Amino acid sequence: MVRFSYIFSLSLLLFFSIYSYGQDKDSLYAPIKEKEPLVLNGMKVGINIGRFSDYLFKPERTSYEASFDFNLSNKYFGVIEGGLSETNIKKDNYQYSSEGTFVKAGVDFNMLKKYPSDYFGIGVRLGRAAFKHSATKLTYENIHWPTQSLSIDSKSYTTYWLEVSLGIKGELLKNVYFGWSALVRVGISGRKDEQFQPYNIPGFGKGTNAINLGANYYIYYQIPFNKNK
Amino acid sequence: MKFSTYIFIFLMFFSVFSCSDDVCNEETESTLNLVFVVNDASLTDIGFIDNLSIYSPEWTDSIHFLDENESGGTVLGFMLSPYSDTSEIIVTSKNATEKDTLIILTQREQIFLSKECGFITDFLIDTVLFTLNYIDSIEINKDEITTAKNGEIQLYF
Repeated sequence: MVRFSYIFSLSLLLFFSIYSYGQDKDSLYAPIKEKEPLVLNGMKVGINIGRFSDYLFKPERTSYEASFDFNLSNKYFGVIEGGLSETNIKKDNYQYSSEGTFVKAGVDFNMLKKYPSDYFGIGVRLGRAAFKHSATKLTYENIHWPTQSLSIDSKSYTTYWLEVSLGIKGELLKNVYFGWSALVRVGISGRKDEQFQPYNIPGFGKGTNAINLGANYYIYYQIPFNKNK
Repeated sequence: MKFSTYIFIFLMFFSVFSCSDDVCNEETESTLNLVFVVNDASLTDIGFIDNLSIYSPEWTDSIHFLDENESGGTVLGFMLSPYSDTSEIIVTSKNATEKDTLIILTQREQIFLSKECGFITDFLIDTVLFTLNYIDSIEINKDEITTAKNGEIQLYF
């Protein structure tokens, strides 16, 4: 038994001697990075101020859009956006009206490392709009056909689209952010009607386009959650 | 420079405001072309094509043949009725004793083009009914009629 213990101790000594010999002091080592858990840093509540330009440039349209996002370690943002839109146009040769709501849900990914409280990144959303539209007193100017008046009954639609954004947000004042983003929206379904093509789909844009480009201008207030940050 | 300053610089470049002069500058009519091919010598003798005209009972005027088109064919173009899925067109010639009638059945799509232009109508030709006084046969060459693409029906006499 004593002999066995002696052999075991010697083996251990030999093993650790070889192991420590293999640790070359000139080799380069990087500290092992521990993956930091995602921390809920706050929630932003925002309003799309770009929509207010409609009062000046598109008086026939009224639309509002708000945003809620959840900040996870300033890197990932869960985003829910929603709004409503109404269009009323009265012209000599037609009257058109539409109204509806939309909601978008998705994720933003912050690519900035230098400015942890600011944002420059890409986002992906899935959008859904529910709306209806109708037209009355519709006439066509044609040299042959005598003018008549048409009405198109109200029709309801549900549209889905995918949205990709590239944008920035910066903290202007304490917890007050301003940001804009460029958007590409790709229609998925519910955009076309063979009899009465929707003009403006709330949140998506022109119904005749399969792809719409756009921009958002937001002001946010961040409700701080993690006061240690 | 602060990050927020960059935001405003980008914003300056990115701000695009649309202006409208409230005038429609886009094509709003969609045209159906009728292409006439006369193989009957007796019709050629009476100058059927040279005196050709078409009209609809709903019109107060008619369209007359003026000249051959660039490819040497006889084409008369007009818009189908934007108010009905059925357009009735009469084909006649000055020295012909009979008339032919085309009843063009379509599906219509109303498209709100813009605030300035209002609505346009696209058509899809379902079928064409016709009399056989002089017409021998017809072919629907292009059944889609939009502001960008003309429809085409070829009539053989």
